[in-house]
Amino acid sequence: MGAIEGILTGFEVAFSWEGILFVLLGVFVGTFIGMLPGLGPISAIAIMIPITYGMDPTLALVMMAGVYYGAVFGGSTSSILLNAPGISGTVASSFDGYPMAQQGKAGKALAIAAISSFAGGTISVVLLMIFAPMLASVAISFGPPAYFALMLLGLTAIASLSEGSTIKALISAVVGFMVATIGIDPQTGTGRFTFGSMNLLDGIDFLVIALGLFAIAEVCYLVMNRHKSSAGSGKEIGSLKLSKEDAKEMSGPVGRQSLLGFILGILPGAGATIASFISYIAEKRIAKKPEEFGKGSVKGLAAPEASNNAATSGAFVPLLSLGIPGSGTTAVMLGAFLVLGLQPGPMLMGDHPEVFWGIIASMYIGNIFLLVLNLPLIPYIARILTIPRPLLISLVLMFSLIGVYAISFSVFDLYLLLAFGVIGFLMRMFAFPAPPFILAFILGGMMEQSLRQSMTISNGSISIMFENNISLVLIILSVLSFAFPIAKSIWSKKKAS
Amino acid sequence: MKKLLALLIFVLMLTFLAACGSEDTSSNDGNTNDEDTKENSGEDNGEWTPSESIEIVAPAGAGGGWDTTARMSAQVLTEESMIDQDMGVVNKEGAGGAIGWAYMAEQEGSNHNLFVSSSPILLVPLNGQSEYGHEDFTPIANVIADYGAFAVAKDAKWDNLNELFEDMKEDPQSVTIVGTSAPGSMDHIQFVRFAKAAGVDITKIKYVSAPDAGGVTQVLNGSADVFSTGVAEVAEQVRADKLKVLAVTSEERLDGEVLSTFPTAKEQGIDETFVNWRGFFGPKDMDPAAVKYYENKYKELSDSEAFADVRSNYGWNEMYMGSEEYKQFLDEEKENLQSILEELGLLK
Amino acid sequence: MVQRVNRKIGLILTLLSIGYLYMSYQLPTYLYIPLDADAVPKTLGWVLLVLSIALIFSKDSDSEEQKAKRQIPKTDVKALLGVGALLLIYIILFETLGFIIMTVLFVYFCSWFLGYKNHSVNAFVSIVFPVALYSIFVFMLQIKLPQGILPF
Repeated sequence: MGAIEGILTGFEVAFSWEGILFVLLGVFVGTFIGMLPGLGPISAIAIMIPITYGMDPTLALVMMAGVYYGAVFGGSTSSILLNAPGISGTVASSFDGYPMAQQGKAGKALAIAAISSFAGGTISVVLLMIFAPMLASVAISFGPPAYFALMLLGLTAIASLSEGSTIKALISAVVGFMVATIGIDPQTGTGRFTFGSMNLLDGIDFLVIALGLFAIAEVCYLVMNRHKSSAGSGKEIGSLKLSKEDAKEMSGPVGRQSLLGFILGILPGAGATIASFISYIAEKRIAKKPEEFGKGSVKGLAAPEASNNAATSGAFVPLLSLGIPGSGTTAVMLGAFLVLGLQPGPMLMGDHPEVFWGIIASMYIGNIFLLVLNLPLIPYIARILTIPRPLLISLVLMFSLIGVYAISFSVFDLYLLLAFGVIGFLMRMFAFPAPPFILAFILGGMMEQSLRQSMTISNGSISIMFENNISLVLIILSVLSFAFPIAKSIWSKKKAS
Repeated sequence: MKKLLALLIFVLMLTFLAACGSEDTSSNDGNTNDEDTKENSGEDNGEWTPSESIEIVAPAGAGGGWDTTARMSAQVLTEESMIDQDMGVVNKEGAGGAIGWAYMAEQEGSNHNLFVSSSPILLVPLNGQSEYGHEDFTPIANVIADYGAFAVAKDAKWDNLNELFEDMKEDPQSVTIVGTSAPGSMDHIQFVRFAKAAGVDITKIKYVSAPDAGGVTQVLNGSADVFSTGVAEVAEQVRADKLKVLAVTSEERLDGEVLSTFPTAKEQGIDETFVNWRGFFGPKDMDPAAVKYYENKYKELSDSEAFADVRSNYGWNEMYMGSEEYKQFLDEEKENLQSILEELGLLK
Repeated sequence: MVQRVNRKIGLILTLLSIGYLYMSYQLPTYLYIPLDADAVPKTLGWVLLVLSIALIFSKDSDSEEQKAKRQIPKTDVKALLGVGALLLIYIILFETLGFIIMTVLFVYFCSWFLGYKNHSVNAFVSIVFPVALYSIFVFMLQIKLPQGILPF
């Protein structure tokens, strides 16, 4: 069967009324799961597996894929409105989304997120459709040295992620990296910094930290300002209107970051979270007014939103074309393939073109559904902010608590949440920026592991980092990325004097 | 003042509720005891049946091997009406299973709590990361077996296990082994066992742990040389002519179009096998009559056609062991693993 | 005054880095692993130590706004501690009393404590949200939450 024929079969499946129904069901559940903090697509799909047993595999998988990208789509809502990220892929969306909502532009923020997500999702599906078979080689082109260099490149941006004291930003980052070293070290199996507690052996979950540093710390500020009128008092709150300038401003980041997000999504292990962070940084780096970032910038919201959705489609490249699951969610989907009697692997495209192309084709419909489902709801969802402060505070706390509990069902994590809330509050009070902490936590762990994998492979020779083209290029970029701001500041100082 | 009042009432209500709570649980305990005596009297007739819903703990997150085994077997057991009570799967994730085992240790004496486990219940305690091992529970029945495989890139210079081990005997540091889990866990140990049997210096083996499917990626792009994993993980890659399997760890060749082409280590003259068994356990001091009941039910499950379908979808093999046999098997296996970990210096 | 804040934080962080370094040096090492489990932690510990000392001697670059953030009125301190206490009680009793009871009580009393006076709305919200969430988790998604002393 030729490729064209395969694509046509795929569309036939996706556009059948059953196909449409299951896509709708999937994205609906996904959006919902995404909005609830803590409950992510992994658990949702895992629960679906026994239910779909015996179903038509294509329909079941189309639905599960819908849950996956639907969750990434919906996750931004709670990031923007409550500063409480629904899933880890949307933490970066709160950097600018939340300030924008606080300025009384919640409707606009949600609309930007929805449109960027839609664009990111759709652009990446087009890329997926055209290049999926070819991109398989990209997915496996990164060895440990290349991963190390990629993480290094991300970390060089720490200074640019914050304003104010560089020392404080660096301290934030180092402490974040230290937190990442807690738990069993995969390369030796040693427990590190666990204080003899079993609960720390697996390390600390990213969402516990994100909810603590962002949601709980923000609640402290809300408590202190509890008598001020809520952010929802403005008239604009539910308005979705985007000005022409907004649209113009969005188009650049959305285009660029969809592409970057898609590529990062293809790499096993990177995924939506890392993609959204790297896109945010990248966009800030090239912005004409980087000082606007973190204060409700349109670009700062559009970039991570386009990127995380694009990365989600990207994650399907290794899964569908190679049978390699690059993330927790795709690993669970791989399990779903097996239950349904399919063998995901390099032969899937040839053996079951209707499944391969059906899933991809259904993503077009899924993304349209998501947009259509979400846009009309925005004015109502945005009204959450008009809830009186005291009640809103209680509800945010409730969502954060249940979200963290649902990650691993352990009360220990709730104490950790509280601890990170206090840390986050103190950090804000003493002007230590939180984004470097989070960034170093998420990139640091992977950087350490890939560095040590490389060293083991090369028997301790550092030259392995420069033998591979990808890692060489990335390391050169890291050096430039690190040196450029310093050179720039020296230059501008000279100019000033 | 009013605020203080709010706080005060909150605390008062809670103390009240907490008091009720503890009473409630104690009365519940009373109930269970009553039931137990009833059950015991029933036991005289030789039968024990569950009197409430059964909880199955998967000591891992949703979607993994343990979780799937628990969910699929519960599904078949209830759907085929082998067990009439509800069977709910609870995920107690963390510390490679230790969190779930600690939770199960608290259920001592219960007849309605089961959990699923495999080799880690032997290895994790040996690595010093769990207080509880299989000795602290009641083995009920083993149901499934997986086998390991050692795969290399299609164009690798080795065509069989002996060629690989010859090179490793000369210079163990020239070959990188990659697996998903940390040293001292399954992927690592299964390779070490075979290397040891072939006479390689196992303390010098270079092992890299790569989560998130990094293992297959690293072998495909040439970063690492040998992928030590489960057979199911590499079968499709072999079919697509991207990897070749040097050996599988089973006693005899496996069934299946692709699987049957994989040579065993045994037929290559290396006298060693490794099976990744997976089965169900109950808490300590489970009523022997209840153990008997579950043992029979899992036998029924294992023999059923519905579960055979599940097995073939996942590429699992049938491997039933009853309680006694299972326990003995585990004791022997643990001793074996202990000596290997000791030699590697990983024993805690 | 300003310098003193940096000095205090710097000292605390110095202690933290020393503690972390001490623990890093306790980590076991293995033969034949070029970059062991302790390499990165040791580096991080030393880097933090240097940065903390740098912070002690650094000038404060805080804006006025930042400084104002540090002045918390006494009533706010009380409110924060109160919410903190409620959270702590919530976490301690969460598994004993169960999700529904604890969450209903928490939402109701936390809102009241923070000055929400409309008790009927408060009661409505604090019952409907937790019960709805509980039903979604337990009945729709089949994810168990602690049921505590309630029979469902």
